[in-house]
Amino acid sequence: MEILACPLCKGDLVLNVQSKEDAEIITGTLYCKKCNEYYPIDEGIPNMLPPHLRE
Amino acid sequence: MPHITYRNACVEFVDDVYEPAEDSFLLADAALDLAKQGMKILEIGTGTGFVAAVLKANLDVDLLATDINPYAVKCACNNGVPTIRADMFSAFKSLKCFDMIIFNPPYLPTLEEDKVPGWLNYAFDGGVDGTASLHRFLEGLVSYLCHKGIVLVLVSSLTGIEKAISWMEGYGLETEVVVKEKCFFEELVVLKGILKAGPE
Repeated sequence: MEILACPLCKGDLVLNVQSKEDAEIITGTLYCKKCNEYYPIDEGIPNMLPPHLRE
Repeated sequence: MPHITYRNACVEFVDDVYEPAEDSFLLADAALDLAKQGMKILEIGTGTGFVAAVLKANLDVDLLATDINPYAVKCACNNGVPTIRADMFSAFKSLKCFDMIIFNPPYLPTLEEDKVPGWLNYAFDGGVDGTASLHRFLEGLVSYLCHKGIVLVLVSSLTGIEKAISWMEGYGLETEVVVKEKCFFEELVVLKGILKAGPE
């Protein structure tokens, strides 16, 4: 987590945990305040692609 | 689920993700040879997670991987490799914190009409001359590799091995060929680069 950055501005991200299993975050979001962009964590996998690359 | 067993690792593979082949085996061998216990290792474009999984099965290392293909990310995670979905280094802070960075770039010269449908294209498409991904990788690399850190890159004679060596040297990497193998119509090599001290 401490090495992850917003792929657009390289700024810090705020973690919001929705569900956890033991220590692992299963669902949640990483939020960049500067870009006002959310990066989803789904099934334990952070999706750090900027929105235009997601699909 | 189809799988490959190699050097203590059992790796599943799925449709839409590059199936481990000669290049993957060569890179895994080289990585296992050079990695040391406790290293912080990043693999870019991990695919099934094959190379990282071989490292994990044999060494106690701190692993992280990325891929842009959502099926690859899932597959690598299922193979026990902590993987995030990202485009190369874009999701990491420039902390120069990795002891080893590994990349098997897509290297086939690819025109618009050569592209394969879907996410699998990312496993092959090296741009018009096959070097687009390697260039982007080398450009970003020095912000993430620690001083004296090791980079391992798979390069094909289709890309041009001497060319790749001189590009790596140009980025301040002391570069040498660590393994090579003739493979049908091409020669595959693993290039090792060590980051020399930069100008302070």
